[in-house]
Amino acid sequence: MKHCDKCYVDIQTNQKYCPLCHQVLSGEDDPNLKEVYPEYVPLRREVLPLTKKILLFTTIVSILVLLSINLLTWDGSFWSLIPIGAIIYFWLIVRYGVLSKQNIAFKLALLTTVLVAILNLIDQNYGPVSDRGWALDYVTPFAFLACNLAISVIIWIRRINYRDYMFYLISIIIFSLIPVILVLFKVINITWPAISAFGAAVFILLFIIFFFPKSIKEEIKKRFHL
Amino acid sequence: MIKDTRYIDWFKLDNAAKIFPAVSNKKETNTFRVQFALVEAVDPELLQLAADAIIERYPMFKVRLKVGFFWSYFDYNSSPFYVEPLPTQVCGQLSPKENNGYLFKIYYRNNLIALEVFHSLSDGSGAVTLMKSLVYEYLSLKGYKLTPDNLILTRDSLPTIEEYEDSHGTYYNAKNRRHVPEKKAFGIKGTPIPDGHIGLISGTLSTKEVVDLARRNQATVTEYLAAVMMYMIYITQIKYREHLKANQKPVKLFIPVNLRKHFPSQTLRNFTNFVKTDMVMARPDISLEEIMQLVKEQFKKGMTKEELIRKMSENVAFEKNVLLRVTPYFLKRYMLKIGYQIMGLSLNTMSFTNIGRIDLPESMKPYIDNVSAAVYSGKFNTLNVAITSFEDKFKITFTRSIIETTIEREFFRFFTSMGMHLEIESNYVEEYK
Repeated sequence: MKHCDKCYVDIQTNQKYCPLCHQVLSGEDDPNLKEVYPEYVPLRREVLPLTKKILLFTTIVSILVLLSINLLTWDGSFWSLIPIGAIIYFWLIVRYGVLSKQNIAFKLALLTTVLVAILNLIDQNYGPVSDRGWALDYVTPFAFLACNLAISVIIWIRRINYRDYMFYLISIIIFSLIPVILVLFKVINITWPAISAFGAAVFILLFIIFFFPKSIKEEIKKRFHL
Repeated sequence: MIKDTRYIDWFKLDNAAKIFPAVSNKKETNTFRVQFALVEAVDPELLQLAADAIIERYPMFKVRLKVGFFWSYFDYNSSPFYVEPLPTQVCGQLSPKENNGYLFKIYYRNNLIALEVFHSLSDGSGAVTLMKSLVYEYLSLKGYKLTPDNLILTRDSLPTIEEYEDSHGTYYNAKNRRHVPEKKAFGIKGTPIPDGHIGLISGTLSTKEVVDLARRNQATVTEYLAAVMMYMIYITQIKYREHLKANQKPVKLFIPVNLRKHFPSQTLRNFTNFVKTDMVMARPDISLEEIMQLVKEQFKKGMTKEELIRKMSENVAFEKNVLLRVTPYFLKRYMLKIGYQIMGLSLNTMSFTNIGRIDLPESMKPYIDNVSAAVYSGKFNTLNVAITSFEDKFKITFTRSIIETTIEREFFRFFTSMGMHLEIESNYVEEYK
């Protein structure tokens, strides 16, 4: 036990000074003593790791180079936006697919939706007009179909509590109904991909409604309570 | 499959809890700590077993925070929970994305068991109840013969619906919800500790001596200590600084009141309100007696049933506001943040928590040395106090986000100058550079 003659307090420590007045404490160090609280370790400063720095640097440089080449050899179209979109999507994968601690259903749902959006934008703006429509005809229904199956299979195989995944599964199912609606409005001409995606979505939806009837209601109640 | 009715699948945040997820970050963590020091060293493996058993008894803690469209909510958490060694950081941030989603932590070090809780989950009283159960279970697993004596919620008792209750919603009065505007409070300035660390200095007095001292001054322990604290803030921060006096904001201590003592509530979630001491100290000749008189009056006024219900109903009315309710959560967060900026921390100089006496069964007492608590300190409330007493150990714990220890020093010297015996502990943040 050490003592501060100025504050008249006792303290059990091997430190030299009184925490109140910073005078030297009287008394001997006790070699067997363990400090009550752990030592102060300065926090690790979050400096960007070198790989991340290099990647970020190359990303920004390539975007600038692409843009300048595009402008210097201007042929009437912004073709550089396609590789730039791909680069940005790569960063989305790193940020939300790899580094994020969110659950896997969220990652799949988010990345699929963004991918579909990017491919549709490319489809609408580039290439000869007669060739357009592939993104809506094929990519959109198949991407959602794949995502649907992936989330269902993950829930099924990993036997995890489905509750955390339900919300994303339901949103993707709702998204995969969109192509069929577009077929009905004659925006899409090739029907079989849209219909197969629709079929799978309805199958999964019916499965949930029949075997986990409360889960959908609960999920909606949870997410939308006022 | 029969559903286990002990668990409620998900539940809304209670009235007091709703604000914290929106306003918490690395600096304002809204975390507090309750800590039991045992007589002998803690066995981490047994503690893990005890924690596993007790979390099942406290399903309102076995949750993760999720964001809905209008409000966030607590959802059942099926991930495992792990106890950890005590870190340097006192009351650090408990992020919903880390720690398997759990919003509390159980730490061990030498003979300490500490529980840190994010304020959305529960208040001091709820945390103490959980901690008592945990230590009881731990000591039982060690093989000691203990009896709960109706003071402990043991692992074989069943959780009840009442323990989940949002008691604010049960006891508020829609007619008594007048908003009383308040002035901003005086803030204690200082040099920030690097890395957002928190300095902790804890002093142990004799409970009997403190109670006697308060009685001699015809005050309760909380009133007396609050008055002394006001006086120390006055002496160290204001008295000799003329430039501050010219534009003096009132010194206000935020003192939580456990509403379970005023209403028949069994809840283990938040159910606290507060009294505030409030004094403009722009004079050179304020005495301790004068402050004491004022503090006693303010306690008397603030602790009446009408006043407690008014403060509670004011918050409930805010929560039930239709405009706020229909705002989507991502916008609501900003509304809550702005509201908290105006009506939250800046209205207090210091938060001054007296958790009070910790009652434990006789059979448990020989194994426990002392109990203490701590509250986080942030950017505005740079110095906070938490007080507990167990047997004859009366522990006053200061936590600060600034390097200066002037107030602590004068506060403790006030007692030692009267000849009282005082032992202190510190985490020595300032010594390690």
